[in-house]
Amino acid sequence: MLKVIARTANLAKTPLSRSLPAFSTCGARLSSSADPTSRREAPKLENETVLTLPEEAHQKNALESNITVPTKVDLTPVSGVPEEHIKTRRVRIYQPAKNAMQSGTNNIHHWEMEFDTRQRWENPLMGWTSTGDPLSNMKVQFSSPDEAIEHCEKNGWTWYLDVPKTEKPLKPKSYGINFSWNRRTRVSTK
Amino acid sequence: MLRQPLTRAIALSSPSRVAPLGARRYADAVPAQPEKVEVFIDDKPVYVPPGTTVLQAAAQVGVEIPRFCYHERLAVAGNCRMCLVEVEKSPKPVAACAMPVMKGMRVKTDSDLTKKAREGVMEFLLVNHPLDCPICDQGGECDLQDQSMAFGSDKSRFTDIHFSGKRAVEDKDVGPLIKTIMTRCIHCTRCIRFASEVAGVDDFGTTGRGSDMQVGTYVEKMFLSELSGNIIDLCPVGALTSKPYSFAARPWETRRIDSVDVLDPLGSNIVVTTRTNEVLRILPRTNEEINEEWLSDKSRFACDGLKRQRLVTPMLADSRGNLTPVEWEDAIVAAARAIQDCPPDKLLAVAGDLADAESLVALKDLVNRLGSENVYTERDFPLEGSGTDLRSSYLLNTKIANVEDADFVLLIGTNVRFEAPLLNARIRKAFIHKETDVAVIGPKIDLTYDYLHVGDSASVVKDLATGSSSHEVLKRLDAAKRPIVILGADQLKTQEGSALLAYTQELALRLQDKLQDKNWKVLNVLQRSAGAVAALDLGYRPGVATALAAQPRVVFLLGADGGVVTREQLPKDAFVIYQGHHGDVGASIADVVFAGAAYTEKRATYVNAEGRAQQTLPAVSPPGRARDDWKIIRALSEVVGERLPYNNLDEVRDRLGQISPALVSYGEVQDNNYFAQARALSKSLQKPVSGTLDVQLKQLEDFFMTDPISRASPTMAKCVQAVIKQKSSVY
Repeated sequence: MLKVIARTANLAKTPLSRSLPAFSTCGARLSSSADPTSRREAPKLENETVLTLPEEAHQKNALESNITVPTKVDLTPVSGVPEEHIKTRRVRIYQPAKNAMQSGTNNIHHWEMEFDTRQRWENPLMGWTSTGDPLSNMKVQFSSPDEAIEHCEKNGWTWYLDVPKTEKPLKPKSYGINFSWNRRTRVSTK
Repeated sequence: MLRQPLTRAIALSSPSRVAPLGARRYADAVPAQPEKVEVFIDDKPVYVPPGTTVLQAAAQVGVEIPRFCYHERLAVAGNCRMCLVEVEKSPKPVAACAMPVMKGMRVKTDSDLTKKAREGVMEFLLVNHPLDCPICDQGGECDLQDQSMAFGSDKSRFTDIHFSGKRAVEDKDVGPLIKTIMTRCIHCTRCIRFASEVAGVDDFGTTGRGSDMQVGTYVEKMFLSELSGNIIDLCPVGALTSKPYSFAARPWETRRIDSVDVLDPLGSNIVVTTRTNEVLRILPRTNEEINEEWLSDKSRFACDGLKRQRLVTPMLADSRGNLTPVEWEDAIVAAARAIQDCPPDKLLAVAGDLADAESLVALKDLVNRLGSENVYTERDFPLEGSGTDLRSSYLLNTKIANVEDADFVLLIGTNVRFEAPLLNARIRKAFIHKETDVAVIGPKIDLTYDYLHVGDSASVVKDLATGSSSHEVLKRLDAAKRPIVILGADQLKTQEGSALLAYTQELALRLQDKLQDKNWKVLNVLQRSAGAVAALDLGYRPGVATALAAQPRVVFLLGADGGVVTREQLPKDAFVIYQGHHGDVGASIADVVFAGAAYTEKRATYVNAEGRAQQTLPAVSPPGRARDDWKIIRALSEVVGERLPYNNLDEVRDRLGQISPALVSYGEVQDNNYFAQARALSKSLQKPVSGTLDVQLKQLEDFFMTDPISRASPTMAKCVQAVIKQKSSVY
């Protein structure tokens, strides 16, 4: 970075640079994006973009971009999950239901995946619940069903989507309606 | 954690989350939307229709304001004050649940003033709330507990230096389902509003004022409603808790499995709560197109019947006719031998009320492969005319959610209140909020709302259909813009059933043809059981009586517990195979018993009365040696020598999809058609009718025990007793 600053400082100080018609902010790597003649205004460029060295810019680009893998990813050969738990399991992708006993909804705005329930029993030692199913406690949260589907496909699980029907039109509620005269909403108790 | 505040708000409105709105297509009668008002919730702009409350507007942008008394499906009470928020330029905090928005209003739900207001309200609520969370059944899923943690003060100013104690209230007895600990009551009045608005039983109310105020029934009285369990859910504290579930478990030690109810034809969505392979309780799960967020008492409390009277092992009748436990192999071989020895035309299969689509298709395929067409349902339905060929003639075509939009409802020979309680709740909702009128042909029953009684004779339907009636109902029906006609399927088992259905079709279609709204369906047939529609879809024939007259030698009862097939009707040497999960009527006459799984123990497809396929998920494993139903039939088919071509559930469902794609499009419901064809085919059946229409479930005590599961449930038995006892009370 210091090197860059020093370089630009030198650029500005040398008498040669003053004799140049203008200090162009448009580097060669940026000019290819669009035909500059068709532009009304000069493109706005971040100072940093202008000041970075080409090799640094290249490195930065490489770090920020994604690596595209050409084929579908299949983790099953390397995930170590026994074949039985890949082939015979079925994943349900769903949005957790609101607990009917409570009015809060903070913990239901995500998507989850869960496996089909297998046998559980009461362990005679402590009375706790035992299961022979290693995936019975695996609940993974996702922010969208697409992510969950992608995750399942990577791991080779059969999945299905369970979309809850909880959408309903907004109907304005009114306190005043309690006092309107209506033989049908009139109640004997308050 | 993947959630950030912003993603939450975006996700709320993103189309991926929105289920296709099949239900609300008929809302075009609503006048053009008035201009929306812009308000700012925590500086986030939101556009809402005028008249919307601050709380609703906040919910639009994903800001949840704490509340106790406000419930979106009940009237606004505004008495708990928990939803106080600061509004800019307002001198005092306002109650968000009752305050309509105004243009440019700036609401601060997280400001110091709001926090202080909440803390103050919390402090007052806790002054008289007992500190008995460790012994309270609501502990762990209590709104008061959570909100006092989130919004309450960290210290108490409550110092009872005079040891006068907190306010204490005597507990009430409101029946065998609801336990009341009234000291915990915070007077939110949700139970009162639910009882009077949704349940239609105006028994709850408040007495006294100030610190003497009490919620109760004034005189000791049972809460006589088929929806009473919902007030347990509504109660934000532990004042109303479930009696059968009391002290059973804490919410964090249970598992919740989303499933579907099968004890009424609506297929309400439920959450089955389990621990250690035992179903502890059943709660409703929101589905706006079916049950909203309510659940009927039978569906909610009959789950203890799943632990009693169960068939846990296959059984075979010994030489003295007593059923003795045997291995699966012995039972299947014995059944297979009987089937192999039986001529195809003497083989009969009868499906009962709780049979799932997978086992139904497996059984039908097996019987058909053996060369027999004798697959019947226990419930009757006329076969003349189009019979069960057209789906529209045996379904609830209007769909449950659309019933709310109807402006005139004609009920023919059905007590919706007990046959499909949540459908009745919808009709009641329409009656109260949308001025819908209701008329009834049939016996005089209590539907919780006023209706016009047209008579109880079948000829009334004929007169209405032909237009020769002079009753005012005919004029009302003709004038209605969205009428619906609901015919109880029970009426179709008599000789006059076909004529009654023909007249109902005629009446409904005559009304439908005149409607401006071409998508509106008028004709509805309300089935009585969860298995009925799937059986008819798969090609099971109704009317087992004719098949019994042919003297079958081998009878396969698939959960047929209705008592339609009896030993007396069968020849002496008939061999009866029963497959099911409860030792009920069917198992008592069987020679071989196959132990199947109940609806909480299998992944199975059920089709509800509107034709919506839904699947139950296994919450627990079947008890003992009981097995999945379709697997038993698949195993039997192999021994019989007619191997069924499916080896796993996916293949069975492929087969279901081959027969009808509607059976595997889970959660969705399709529109029905061919009304005109059904009407044309039934023209010749419009014969004179003279009978009277009667319903099976007349009183609340009839409602509780109608199927093998609820008949085995001690809680349901207690309910019947309590209702009968209440009837003898002076109140």
